[in-house]
Amino acid sequence: MRGADRVSSFVLVLFALVAVNEARKLRLGTLTNPGPGFVPLCLALALALVALLLLWRALREPATPAPPTEPGERWKPVASLIALVAYTFALEPLGFVLATAALLFFFFRVLDGQRWWIALASAVVVSALSYLIFARALHVRLPEGPWS
Amino acid sequence: MELISGLLYGFAVSFTPANLFACFVGVFIGTLIGVLPGIGPVATMSLLLPVTYAMSPTASIIMMAGIYYGAMYGGSTTSILVNIPGEAASVVTCLDGYQMARQGRAGPALGIAAFGSFIAGTLSVLGIMLLAPPLTSVALRFGPPEIFGLLLLGFTMVTYLTAGSKLRAVAMALLGMLLGTVGLDPILATPRFTYGSVTLGDGLGLVPIIMGLFGVSEVLLNIEKGVTQEVFETRIKGLLPTREDWKISAAPIARGSVLGFFLGILPGIGAIIPTFISYALERRISRHPERFGTGAIEGVAAPEAANNAATGGAMIPLLTLGIAPNVVMAVLLGAFLIHGVQPGPLLIREHPDMFWGVIASMYVGNVILLILNLPLIGLWVQLLRVPYGLLFPLILLFCIIGVYSEASNVWDIVVMLVFGVVGLLMKKYGYEAAPLVLAFVLGRMAEESFRQSLLLSHGHFDILFTRPLATALLILALAVMVLPAVVPPVKRLLGTVGEETGT
Repeated sequence: MRGADRVSSFVLVLFALVAVNEARKLRLGTLTNPGPGFVPLCLALALALVALLLLWRALREPATPAPPTEPGERWKPVASLIALVAYTFALEPLGFVLATAALLFFFFRVLDGQRWWIALASAVVVSALSYLIFARALHVRLPEGPWS
Repeated sequence: MELISGLLYGFAVSFTPANLFACFVGVFIGTLIGVLPGIGPVATMSLLLPVTYAMSPTASIIMMAGIYYGAMYGGSTTSILVNIPGEAASVVTCLDGYQMARQGRAGPALGIAAFGSFIAGTLSVLGIMLLAPPLTSVALRFGPPEIFGLLLLGFTMVTYLTAGSKLRAVAMALLGMLLGTVGLDPILATPRFTYGSVTLGDGLGLVPIIMGLFGVSEVLLNIEKGVTQEVFETRIKGLLPTREDWKISAAPIARGSVLGFFLGILPGIGAIIPTFISYALERRISRHPERFGTGAIEGVAAPEAANNAATGGAMIPLLTLGIAPNVVMAVLLGAFLIHGVQPGPLLIREHPDMFWGVIASMYVGNVILLILNLPLIGLWVQLLRVPYGLLFPLILLFCIIGVYSEASNVWDIVVMLVFGVVGLLMKKYGYEAAPLVLAFVLGRMAEESFRQSLLLSHGHFDILFTRPLATALLILALAVMVLPAVVPPVKRLLGTVGEETGT
């Protein structure tokens, strides 16, 4: 994991430096009367320091070839995330029941490999049931969509 | 006498049908999600926050607390039967519990876990009852400098007692605090890092962050790896531990309870660390340390007692100071605030029904859990056979509903998804999420109390060193930082803890 350690600590350093730069734009104030930017700047600087330490530690270790990629299907989380983002923005225009049924169908059919009619039926049932339970029984506000 | 009447009042409150039902629902859901890997008490409690709008304040806190300690019970079941910890706090239970199951002693292992948890839960309720009221009067003297000292102690605890790399934990805590500064400045209300966004203007939400880091990331990881479900096929016969088992386990349960309770009070500890320390302690003082890891019953009993007792201990800072000592308590604090109740030194006087009702309900909840779990273990085992392909879309769906319903803002879902990815990367690269979330919560309070202290003293730092309580807390925080490096026994004990987790 040493190559990975270099990457992760480098990303942390970058993030901290961006944060330092952004925090500098806020009013700093003085040590005895700190302004809005004081604590964020200190935190960002401290994070940069710790991240640099981590990076230094990772660099000092002899570089080892990247670990063999663990067995796994990398496309699955990526596909799920894309579906989830699409769902998020479809939620309000389409309404909860329709958007959720589509999302669940995708999960059951594409990721879990169910037969399409099983996937479709379970997606519709689960989405309708969860709407009834959360929106009707528990009074959770869910987007109704065009059918309200 | 005041204690007794308080507790009796609490029982009267917790035995009202609505509260009893809330308690039952809480521990039932808790056990359920404790059994199911991939969804934990933190995510579940956040999820159900909006549901509590419709309930009375007391009932909703009773239910929330029930989910937490119920999950502690449920988590051990999967550890023992499947070698998968249902909760992080049950990791240690796998070590000897699963070995016992393989030797055909799954019954006694489950039994001692349930009884050990019950005994520890009982002891910790007693502890809360005895300690909380006197601490409340101390808490009334807590001003910003003392709160700052206590929070600093929490930060050092969470980073220096973490199982993995300390430096990484420090980095995550700093990152969490930095994320906590997004939103309005606590003193002057100047927008910080908001970039004109309304969602960021309120600060990043705790619920989306928790759901992302603990719920979504776990699911994404499991989808990629593929979850192998292999339920240990064994007939569970006889849940009652033998007399011999009891003789071996009695002292470890007692030690685990006391250890867990007092560690649980300290900010930044949570329920996980006490289980490691208690296991390490038992192995260290055992006359047969070689038995540990091969199915020693005390290796199940002690950590199970410790995690339940820690749950109780963690209620103390919340009820008396209004400070969340760990992530779960942060969510519980949220549940109080939803109902417009500020937990803290005034809680016992202003809302005695809540204070005593919740404490008594924890006792009632422990009894329900014992009754519920012994016969229902078979059902929980069946539940583990629910295919993950069906389970994970539901978990994701619940996370989305929970996050969205808080403010009807789709951008909160986006925040959750972003933190889901961040959490996935953190898991892959070996960073822990707990220090980040805790620092996120406490960081805002720490900045506020620090700056309030300086306002109080007109910019003199000696306010932190002239008030005895604040000074004591700061010295304690410093001690936690320095002590492990200086005192060998502490270092050794923490060393064993590290070995146990394999980090």
